[in-house]
Amino acid sequence: MGKETLRNELLKDLSDAVVDMDEDKAKETSQRVLDEDLNAYDAIMNGLAAGMEIVGDLYDKHEYFVPELLMCADALYAGLDILKPHIKPEDLGDSAKGQVVIGTVQGDVHDIGKNIIKMMFEVAGFTVHDLGRDVPLEKFVEEQMRTDSDIVALSAMMTTTMMGMKKVVQMIKEKNPDVAIMLGGAPVTKDVTELFGADGYAESAGNAVQEAIKMISRLREIQK
Amino acid sequence: MTDITPKERIKRFFNREPIDVMPVFSGQGMVTIQAIEKMDVRFAQIHTSAEYMARSAMTTAEIFGFDAVIIPYDMCTVPESLGRGASLYENADGILYPTVPSKWKTLDDVKIDSDFMTKGRMPLVDDAIRILKSSSNGKFAVGSWVLGPFTMAGQLLELDVLLKGLKKEKDKVEEFLSKMTDLVIEVARHYQELGVDYMNIREMGSGTDIISPRMWKMLVLDNLQKVFSALRSPKVLHICGSTDMIIELMNECGADALSVDQKNDVVESRRKLGNDVLILGNFDPYGTMVQMDVSEAESVIKKCIDDGVDAVWPGCDLWPEVKKENVEAYVRTVWEYSKKASPAVGRI
Repeated sequence: MGKETLRNELLKDLSDAVVDMDEDKAKETSQRVLDEDLNAYDAIMNGLAAGMEIVGDLYDKHEYFVPELLMCADALYAGLDILKPHIKPEDLGDSAKGQVVIGTVQGDVHDIGKNIIKMMFEVAGFTVHDLGRDVPLEKFVEEQMRTDSDIVALSAMMTTTMMGMKKVVQMIKEKNPDVAIMLGGAPVTKDVTELFGADGYAESAGNAVQEAIKMISRLREIQK
Repeated sequence: MTDITPKERIKRFFNREPIDVMPVFSGQGMVTIQAIEKMDVRFAQIHTSAEYMARSAMTTAEIFGFDAVIIPYDMCTVPESLGRGASLYENADGILYPTVPSKWKTLDDVKIDSDFMTKGRMPLVDDAIRILKSSSNGKFAVGSWVLGPFTMAGQLLELDVLLKGLKKEKDKVEEFLSKMTDLVIEVARHYQELGVDYMNIREMGSGTDIISPRMWKMLVLDNLQKVFSALRSPKVLHICGSTDMIIELMNECGADALSVDQKNDVVESRRKLGNDVLILGNFDPYGTMVQMDVSEAESVIKKCIDDGVDAVWPGCDLWPEVKKENVEAYVRTVWEYSKKASPAVGRI
C-alpha cells in the first residue's frame, strides 16, 4: 500500500475511533501510525481532531448528547497520549511556545465544556494550566502572571457566574493588555465577549470543538 | 382582584377552580436584594439562619406582592448533609449561590446515612418552613422544592462519572439513581409533612442539552414516576434547559403541573399537551428581571401569557439583583393581563 493511501486509511480509522467512542481502536491505530513512521501531529489534527469535529456536528444535530461527547473525548485522549510524545517541534510552529491558563470561574462548578476546550488546546500543542473549577477571580490573574501565558480561557455555565468574567478581563488587561482572553460557556455570546472586552468565545461543549480549532487559528495569527 | 387570599388563590389554581387572576409565584427561589437590604444582612447569611431564610422570603413577597414564599434557596443542603460540604462564599465579592465542593468521585464512594435529615443545614430548613407556616398568618402559600433524582445524582457524584456511567456502568448507575429516588421521596415527603402548600421537584440536570430523550425515558422517567406517586398534591415537575423533545414524557411523570424555562416553545408544548395540563413558565429570570428595560420585561410577561402558560413562572431562581421596577412590572402585568382564563384554569 502506498504511503499516502496508508495515511488516509489510518486518519479515517482515528477519526472513526473518536466518533465511535472506541478507545481501543484509537490506541491501536495511533500505535500503527508510529510503527509506520507517519507524522504524529498530522494524525492528531487530521485524524483525532477531525473526528471531534464530526462529533460536534452530531451534537448540534441532537444525535449525540453530552455522555457521547465525553466518551468520544476519552477515545481522543487515548490516541493523544500515544501520539503526543512523538510530535516534532517543527510541526507545532508558534503554538509550541503557547501557554494557556484555563478554568471555570468562582461560583460555577460545571467543567465539562471547559475540559473539552482544554483537550483541544492540548491537541494543538499548547501547554495548558488548568485551574479547575470554582476558581477565585484573582487566581486567573495570578496564574497568568506566573506562567506568562499568552491566553486565558474562562468558562461559566450560568449567566450569573459569567458576570465574574468581566472583572477577570479587566484585571488581566490592566496588568497585561497583550494577553488573549477567550470566554466560553452556554450564556456567553459575541455581544458579551465584546462587552467584557475579551477577544474570542465558544458557546457550549457542542460547538467548543469547532470554536477551539478556530480560536487556535486566530491565536496563531495573534502570536505571529 | 377579589378578596381571595394569595394562599387560597394558589390552592384553587392547583385544583383548577376558577380564580380572579393568575397567582404570582414560583417553584424556585424568589428572594431579592431589596429584601436582603431591608433586613440589613448579606446574601451569604440567609443560607445559614432559619430566621433570615424565612424572613427574606416573606419580606420579598411583601415588597412585591407575591402570592407565595418558597425555600430553601441553594442546592447544597442535601449534599452537605451527606458529607459533600457547601461553599457559601461568605467572603466573595458580589452574590454567589452556594456550590458543592466535594462530590463523590466514583460510584463506589456513595454512602447515604439513614439520619442525613438531621445533619448539616437540613434541620435549619425545617425550622425555616415552620417559621414561614406560623408567621405568614395563612396569607401566603408556602412552597418548597427538592432536586429530582437525576439532578440530585449530579450534585453528589462527579458529573462526568455519572454521564459516562450511563453508558459504561449502566447497572451501577441505575442502582445509584434508585437510591437517589428514595432520598428525594424522603425529603419531599418530610417537607409535605411540615405542611408546605405545594412541592416542586426540580430535575434540571436532565434536559436534552445534556442527555438524549431515549436516555431520559430509560433512566429519568421511571424514577420521577416513583417520586410523584409517593407525594400528595399539589406537586410540580420543573425542568429548565431544553425540554421541547421531552415535554410529553414529562407529562407522564404524574405531576399536577409542568414548569419550563425560556428554552421551551410553550406554544408548541401547549399544542402537544392540550388545554388540560397546567403549564408554568417561562421567562428568563436573569435577562428579564436584571438586564432588560422595564418595558421589555412587560412584553416578556405578556408573551408568556399569550403563549399559553397558566401561571407566569421564572425559568429558574430569581437572581437576587433584580431591578425593582422590573419585578413590580412582572406582578402588575400578571394582575392586569391575566384576567381572562388561561388554558387550564378559568376565571371567576
